[in-house]
Amino acid sequence: MPELTVVGRPVVRKDLFRKATGSGQYTVDLELPRQLHGKVLRSPFAHARILHLDPGPALKLPGVLAVVTGIDFPVGYWGSHIKDQPPMARGVARYIGEPVAAVAAVDEEVAEEACQRIQVEYEPLPAVYTIEEALAAEAPLLHPDLLRYERNPQVCRPQANSNVLNHTRIRRGEVEAALRRAVLVEEGEYRTQAQEHVSLEPSACLARWERDGHLTVWSSTQCPFIVREDVARSLGVLTHRVRVIVPDVGGGFGGKVHVRLEPIAALLSQRAGRPVKMVHTRYEEFIASTVRHPSWIRLRAGLDAEGRLSGWQAEIYFDTGAYSDSGEMVSWQTALGGAGPYRVGDVAIDTYAVYTNKVPAGAFRGMGWPQVMWAVESHLDRLARRAGIDPVELRLKNALRDGDETVTGERLEGVGLVECLQTAAEAIGWGKPRPAGHGRAVVSVMKSSAPNSTASAVVKVNEDGAVQVVTGAAEIGTGSHSALAQICAEALGVSYEAVEVTAPDTAYAPFDRGAVSDRTTFHLGDAVYQAALMARRQLLEVAAARLEAAVEDLELEDGILSVRGVPERRLSFREAARLSYVRHGGPILGQGRHLEEEIVPLHPETGQSPRACSHYKFGAQAVEVAVDPETGMVQVEQVVSGHDCGQAVNPLQVEGQIQGAVAQGLGYALMEEMRFEAGQVTNPTLMDYPVPTAPDVPPIRAIAVEVPHPHSPFGVKGVGEPGIIGVAPAIGNAVHDALGICLSELPLTPERILRALEQAGDSRPGSRTEIPAPWDPE
Amino acid sequence: MALNLKVNGRSEWVEMDPSRPLLEVLREGLGLLGARRGCETSYCGACSVLLDGQVVHACTVLAGMADGREVTTIEGISSGEALHPVQSAFIQAGAIQCGYCTPGMVLAAISLLQHEPNPTEEQIRQWIRGNLCRCTGYQKVVAAIAEAAAALGRGGGNHA
Repeated sequence: MPELTVVGRPVVRKDLFRKATGSGQYTVDLELPRQLHGKVLRSPFAHARILHLDPGPALKLPGVLAVVTGIDFPVGYWGSHIKDQPPMARGVARYIGEPVAAVAAVDEEVAEEACQRIQVEYEPLPAVYTIEEALAAEAPLLHPDLLRYERNPQVCRPQANSNVLNHTRIRRGEVEAALRRAVLVEEGEYRTQAQEHVSLEPSACLARWERDGHLTVWSSTQCPFIVREDVARSLGVLTHRVRVIVPDVGGGFGGKVHVRLEPIAALLSQRAGRPVKMVHTRYEEFIASTVRHPSWIRLRAGLDAEGRLSGWQAEIYFDTGAYSDSGEMVSWQTALGGAGPYRVGDVAIDTYAVYTNKVPAGAFRGMGWPQVMWAVESHLDRLARRAGIDPVELRLKNALRDGDETVTGERLEGVGLVECLQTAAEAIGWGKPRPAGHGRAVVSVMKSSAPNSTASAVVKVNEDGAVQVVTGAAEIGTGSHSALAQICAEALGVSYEAVEVTAPDTAYAPFDRGAVSDRTTFHLGDAVYQAALMARRQLLEVAAARLEAAVEDLELEDGILSVRGVPERRLSFREAARLSYVRHGGPILGQGRHLEEEIVPLHPETGQSPRACSHYKFGAQAVEVAVDPETGMVQVEQVVSGHDCGQAVNPLQVEGQIQGAVAQGLGYALMEEMRFEAGQVTNPTLMDYPVPTAPDVPPIRAIAVEVPHPHSPFGVKGVGEPGIIGVAPAIGNAVHDALGICLSELPLTPERILRALEQAGDSRPGSRTEIPAPWDPE
Repeated sequence: MALNLKVNGRSEWVEMDPSRPLLEVLREGLGLLGARRGCETSYCGACSVLLDGQVVHACTVLAGMADGREVTTIEGISSGEALHPVQSAFIQAGAIQCGYCTPGMVLAAISLLQHEPNPTEEQIRQWIRGNLCRCTGYQKVVAAIAEAAAALGRGGGNHA
């Protein structure tokens, strides 16, 4: 491969000047003439039938232009692989905070007041709030029509007459027999909490319904084409009548994949005949956007006499709240990870997504892997301790390597796990003496990519030689636009400065699944690469005609097209572009597509597939902590996060993605927890739900381990998600290393640590018995 | 009621209820969109501006409290292509991802460097604790502020 000149360089992102000067434009900044403001009335009940709804008093308030309720929408449902969610409760409300009506008025305050005047009569229904309650034999069903919802049966398999909307099975060999033969079997049970994305820009949209039936929606979304589909389904209109435009997005992390307010704003706009803007308050972000799935995970793992994992059983339950959103995909993806990145011999994995009467859980950085790896990596350390094997050694002995098969029977190549583990262990000082009260840990990281993810892109060369990449990629802060510009520039043979990436607009951009699952660099990057190669061929043809040479004899480098070996027979990129418009060939327009035709759906009984998803990412996370046994406070002293990002497109951005993900992981591990009381979020503010501030986050050493992907352009892989995955188990294991206590439930708050210390007993030096038992919400 | 604010060095008359938040005056009254609404309760810091040189969260400062005082927003610290050294450092260090917190973060940093031209890493982290960033993990933000301090120390800017 020729030496890279643009890919791999720490170029300055193109969007930073406007963001540094405050001139970035977000959906919340938009304003149209005659614009109205919309507000939502939300259900105060976790599960209730809506008996009667009277919008009359709201409509009488001066300044109110329109009121809509659930029955004003046609019967249309949206979702990822199961379409179970209406844009507004229709007949039944299934969580506290679900929209039941909405108002468009001249300003937010009038709209808010009007909402309070809407009369609603509810009949409360029995509700379920936990996984166990939802699975109970006599549990009320949230979705009696579950089996009638439209779904993708390859990914989503609901269970009849239950609250289980997806069950994924993986079976290899005879796990019971394998565990009977094992010299050591460790069982464990783990739990994780709901986490809120806390994107600083709340969900926002602006909708303008034209009188001719066309609808334009500006949306703060990661996925313009998903929003387009959700809006069209919710309103019963043709997809192409909906145009979605995405300005700058103030953070996503998975929270802005599907619609929140868009269909509501659109219908209000149609009714009022004016544009309608809607913005979540921070409170609404907590009670009515999505969250990370709480989980309940049970593991049984066996070791043979040589310290090899010989049997592995996992039962994994995700609490997806009242609607799936992306819950079926979270549970599907984590079936692939139920045994972590290890060779585990015989295996049985079951994952379930379960409905409860709570705010829906959806996509969140890592798609369920942070939950599952909390359990898997905590379990590995328990195994290592019981077997008397060094935890890093146990991981290295069992780590997946090139040529190994995953639990679904897929043969892997380009696995950088061992390198990552060794690098992280070395960097954290593994095996070296540590101060009293300090503990260290090194854990593995793995993440699957989404299955069957389609992307397409157009590269056009303008009359002046400037290159434009047209895609559906939203710039949610990850630097994806600059990465795509680098890939395009490299493939085309021009400078980074010559390439611009346009903001997504579904009216012009070709289809893309969205900025999720680390797919923009990998999937869309490939589409951009193909498009740039096509544009390059077209330019070479123009130059060949002009220079009277064969295309094969030409080269394109540094923006110059020339005959190989005869550098004076040349044409600048710009001249070639202009010539294509006036004389040769026609305007330069390359198109590229990425489709994963080799992906095979998991076998419904065994979960086996020669290729389950496009690729896996591997990494390692190491930490050193200091724990105060008197207060239970954990101080994270050192963080090393090594991830195989393939060929790094922009090393500065790779570091930034890893550091940001680790910080979010620190919040998840130590402090972030949405608390519920009978389905009600009891801490829906940033005061009661703290997220890490600058002093909470130690310096993070991000290490890019570059194992090129064999099938992607220049060997690139995405690296937005992996950084969050190993943080919690690394801290949990390091706390054990420091204090000798076993933790199974996140987050690792001082209360939980003190309780664990107390349970560990009086025999431990330094432990106190007079600590009052912490308040137990159960 | 008409309020007289001195915003970014210019005297502005705004017709607004003095009990409205300063953030609303800036965004809706004056069209200055760099200060952003993130939580309306003073926890996220996305709306940070300088009031007589001190960092305040504009969502919880009443417009009337700013009457007659000097307000500096992100729009007021540089013009055209020329940037404040703190802005340049943020761009060069890659300290910006989604950019929603950036204006507030930059203003907080400027106010820190006015108080303490050579801050330690710990001082930087403590100073910006009122400004949440969910994207960067703060590391490049802290590095950018340290770099800006060094640049200003070398005479790399006449803003501070």
